[in-house]
Amino acid sequence: MGSSAKKKKEKKKDFQKAKLKVGKTKPKAANATDTGFKAKAIALKQQSLSATAPTVEAQCAHQLSLLNHKSDTQRRDSLAYLTTVISTHPPGSPLPQPASVIISTVQRLVLDGSNSVRQQMLKLVQSLPKADVASHTDSLLLHTRAGMTHLSTDIRTFSLEMLEWLLSVAGDEVVSCAGGWVKTLKCFLSLLGWQAQFGSKWSATKSFGKTVGDSKVQVKQMTTLATFLRAGMSQPKQMAAIGSGEVSFPLSQTEHHVLSERSNTFAHLNLFGAARDEEAEMYEDREDRQRVFHELAEPAIAAGLEQATKGGGELGRAGAQLRKAMKEGMADFHGIDNT
Amino acid sequence: MKRKIGALEKVDADLTSLQYKVRRDPQSYYEDHQQQYMQYETQRDLLLQNPSTSDDTGIVRLSDLIDFVAHTADCYPKAKATAQFSDDLILILSLHHDELQADLRDKMVGSLVLVRNKDLIDSATLLNTLFPILVSTRSKSLRALLFTKIISDLRSSNVKATNHRLNRTIQTVLFNLLTSDRESAKGLWAVKITRELWKRQIWTDARTVDIMKEACLSENEKVITGGVRFFLGGDKEREEAADESSDEEIDMAKMRHQVGINKKTKKKARELKQAAATVKRKERKNNAPHPLNFSALHLLHDPQGFAETLFSKHVQSKSKLPLESKLLVLQLVSRLVGLHKLTVIALYSYLLKYLTPRQTSVTTFLAILAQATHNLVPPDVLEPLIQKIANEFVSEASASEVAAAGLNAIREVCARQPLAMNDTLLQDLVMYRKSKDKGVQMAARGLLSLYREVGAELLKKRDRGKDATIALIAGGRKEQRFGEETVGDIAGIDLLEKWKEEERRKKREAAGLDPDGSDDSEEDETENWKNWDVESDDSDGSGDWINVESDGEDINISDSEDEKENQPAAKKAKLASETPGPSEPGSKAQSEEPIQKQINRLLTTTILTPADLKQLRALQESAAVKSQMSSSKRAALLAARHADDAITAETIEAAAALGKKSTKEEKLAMAKGDREEKHQSTTAKRKEKKEAAGKSTTNKEKARKKNFLMTLGKAKGKNKRSLVDIKKTMRGHIERSKRGGRRGNRG
Repeated sequence: MGSSAKKKKEKKKDFQKAKLKVGKTKPKAANATDTGFKAKAIALKQQSLSATAPTVEAQCAHQLSLLNHKSDTQRRDSLAYLTTVISTHPPGSPLPQPASVIISTVQRLVLDGSNSVRQQMLKLVQSLPKADVASHTDSLLLHTRAGMTHLSTDIRTFSLEMLEWLLSVAGDEVVSCAGGWVKTLKCFLSLLGWQAQFGSKWSATKSFGKTVGDSKVQVKQMTTLATFLRAGMSQPKQMAAIGSGEVSFPLSQTEHHVLSERSNTFAHLNLFGAARDEEAEMYEDREDRQRVFHELAEPAIAAGLEQATKGGGELGRAGAQLRKAMKEGMADFHGIDNT
Repeated sequence: MKRKIGALEKVDADLTSLQYKVRRDPQSYYEDHQQQYMQYETQRDLLLQNPSTSDDTGIVRLSDLIDFVAHTADCYPKAKATAQFSDDLILILSLHHDELQADLRDKMVGSLVLVRNKDLIDSATLLNTLFPILVSTRSKSLRALLFTKIISDLRSSNVKATNHRLNRTIQTVLFNLLTSDRESAKGLWAVKITRELWKRQIWTDARTVDIMKEACLSENEKVITGGVRFFLGGDKEREEAADESSDEEIDMAKMRHQVGINKKTKKKARELKQAAATVKRKERKNNAPHPLNFSALHLLHDPQGFAETLFSKHVQSKSKLPLESKLLVLQLVSRLVGLHKLTVIALYSYLLKYLTPRQTSVTTFLAILAQATHNLVPPDVLEPLIQKIANEFVSEASASEVAAAGLNAIREVCARQPLAMNDTLLQDLVMYRKSKDKGVQMAARGLLSLYREVGAELLKKRDRGKDATIALIAGGRKEQRFGEETVGDIAGIDLLEKWKEEERRKKREAAGLDPDGSDDSEEDETENWKNWDVESDDSDGSGDWINVESDGEDINISDSEDEKENQPAAKKAKLASETPGPSEPGSKAQSEEPIQKQINRLLTTTILTPADLKQLRALQESAAVKSQMSSSKRAALLAARHADDAITAETIEAAAALGKKSTKEEKLAMAKGDREEKHQSTTAKRKEKKEAAGKSTTNKEKARKKNFLMTLGKAKGKNKRSLVDIKKTMRGHIERSKRGGRRGNRG
């Protein structure tokens, strides 16, 4: 309610039109924003003027950089592109980008929030040559373990798939890399809830992050654990062909003296890294692994299995399989222990 | 860059709700906690592979995990993981603090402090981790964060009781930092921390001062000035900080009154309660015994050595300190010399060359000279300085400000060491009181009045004044010799003695006894001790009445003979081990001597209670009002001021400012002070605020503003209504009020 003439005039002022005059610049609106800016230098990204299409290498590099993109679909599409490029390239020729680059950028996506991205990522790493994967097992395993303990159930189940694939590709490296044996075992125990550390409980409490359809996940976990145990504790298949031949008669135990084919052969000496504790130690021998398994996990797994087999059904079958794997692996260990 | 997380993803990875649940019921959620801890461990391993990567791995970030583990660490105090966690953080921070992403790094620091606050690690570990990072990091924001964390941790560990052990270790660390590398600027952090803690009165001991002393003796300019500034201003800062904390006054009576008038709400009641609590707390704090805080300058060990090294290291030698810092150092040296009466003879000859009017900030040099003067400085060292000031500054040719400053400086020096003046120069300088400039005039007068007190014989006869001339003729004033000290005495103790005597007599009179007779003084003594506290002093009740003494009554005490015998005897009976007082009955002579002795006895045999001291102060004040304040007392007050306070350039320049005329603008600004510019009523202010916020008027306001003519029609109509209509509207009103208005919530 404008009561005075003065106020009315003031109110009117807002809606008055500014007069335009010839030869004068148009007056600026009250709400005009100055969009000019100052810069010491302006760098224009050179647009490619070449008539030829960018090389596959450049495109791959571009797609790799897109893996940080905020949109799920973009990430998935980039992964898909990379997968097709890698899977279609001729076997003898080198990859468009080195595998170390691809793996180090891709491995983060184990923990990605979107399921389709994760699945696509698994396809991508599956398309990589096995030898390349084997040399990057430790970092891949680290990410996989991070996924296994993740809060999100989807990521947890996915990382089991990832681990199975890893075991199938580079089982030996997985179980013998630094922290690969003990830490993964502990991871499994905590996943299955088989750690009987906290005294006797009245009843098994339901864990926070687990959903109702839990038994399927548990079955999967148990089968993966069985594969893991087999990889770690089964009898080595065959030594390299050098030792078996009788051609090299005067030489004995040649396989120990030839150059190793693995990369970073002396990693177990840990010459340059920080000191490792029991968990992070490398267990390269089967016997070592058996001993550690006996100390840390065997009783817990046995107790857990008892409950699982009681449940019967799918869970029971998986349990039986796991028990079999464990027995096979520990068969000769107990023999040694007894004698 | 942090990727945005969709709502569904958030539900999946809800660490906050898990944290809440873990804290509610740690036992049941142990496994979940373990899983998250493992997750944290793997993420940590990933980070350690390449510490400079961002921690944005998928939907759960490492910083969230760290936050989670830190918040739930105290739920499982026995678990190995808890100890491991803090060790991890310490290791990562101390090794990789430069490479880590800023927010992750800040989160780690915060979590470490959190773990400390949960008492899972001790303060020493925390501080030993944070301090090296503070010193070595290049990131400004991290330094600021660490500084606040360190200060707050030290403060919180000293809240209940002084944590001597922690303080000692930290002080040692700071001390070592300063002494290990004297050239580096890293010591500045030691200075900053120490100063802050001194200001908050957390560190008040000699070790703290020792640290600052080391800082003053370092080689780096920043560290030196930091240390010197501490000595020059640290104590004042501390006092101000203490005052500030008890600044806001709460008027309880007003608040209570307002509560009685205004609408009663829960909020208002709560506010009143809180205010009452704060007032009570403040009162308790005020009544608590005042902490005895010595100033940093007094806590200094070996001030002579310190002053000498400071002077020779930073001033005399070819140090590359700029003039500004050099002046600071000189100020500190002179302050030390003046306060502790040290002897640094080289200082005076050093100052000689800077005493020219063209020297930059010469008034500061003059102040330094005045400050470095005390009664134990040999006069022949000071004489050339005074001569030079007189020659360079004080002449008809020089500007009036310069002359005023010179005269003022000479006066300040001579107030501390009167013997540095000779009669020809003084008589010459005193002549400037006839100058036309007011500043010069006043400065010269100041010098004259000073020498009337301390050395009238140097002045010409006609300049001496009445008091001084009489005193000179009577021989009452003795010539001050170099190095002579006056005998210690409490001013006004004779007044107190007299007052006590009177009180005793009054009491005895009231009891119907002989006012002059002796009584068991022990009773009196116990009375005194009962009245130890000032507040419980009931005898103040009589203080409302001003005693108008008839002439000569006060002499009564001394000339009554029996009192003279008895009173000391009683004292003697009580204090048998004391030396016998003047108990001879033959001492009838009214000489000064017995009185002097009696006062001395009061000084030596009794402990003055706070009540006594208060009475003493009151007596002194009343005496000052009663008697015309003689110029000698004024001079004594002046001298007292000199001994305690620091002299700054302003003191020297003050006289010159007298002559200056201020412009109209300055006068106006001064008159206006710091009041706000425009007066406005509270209603007007509120209205303006409302308009500025773009709010509309209320219905009431609209009704009030409505044109009178428009309201007339309705008002007329109201009178013509039928009874039924009136009833209807009444009913409507009642209903509306029940419902809660037109838009009431019950439909």
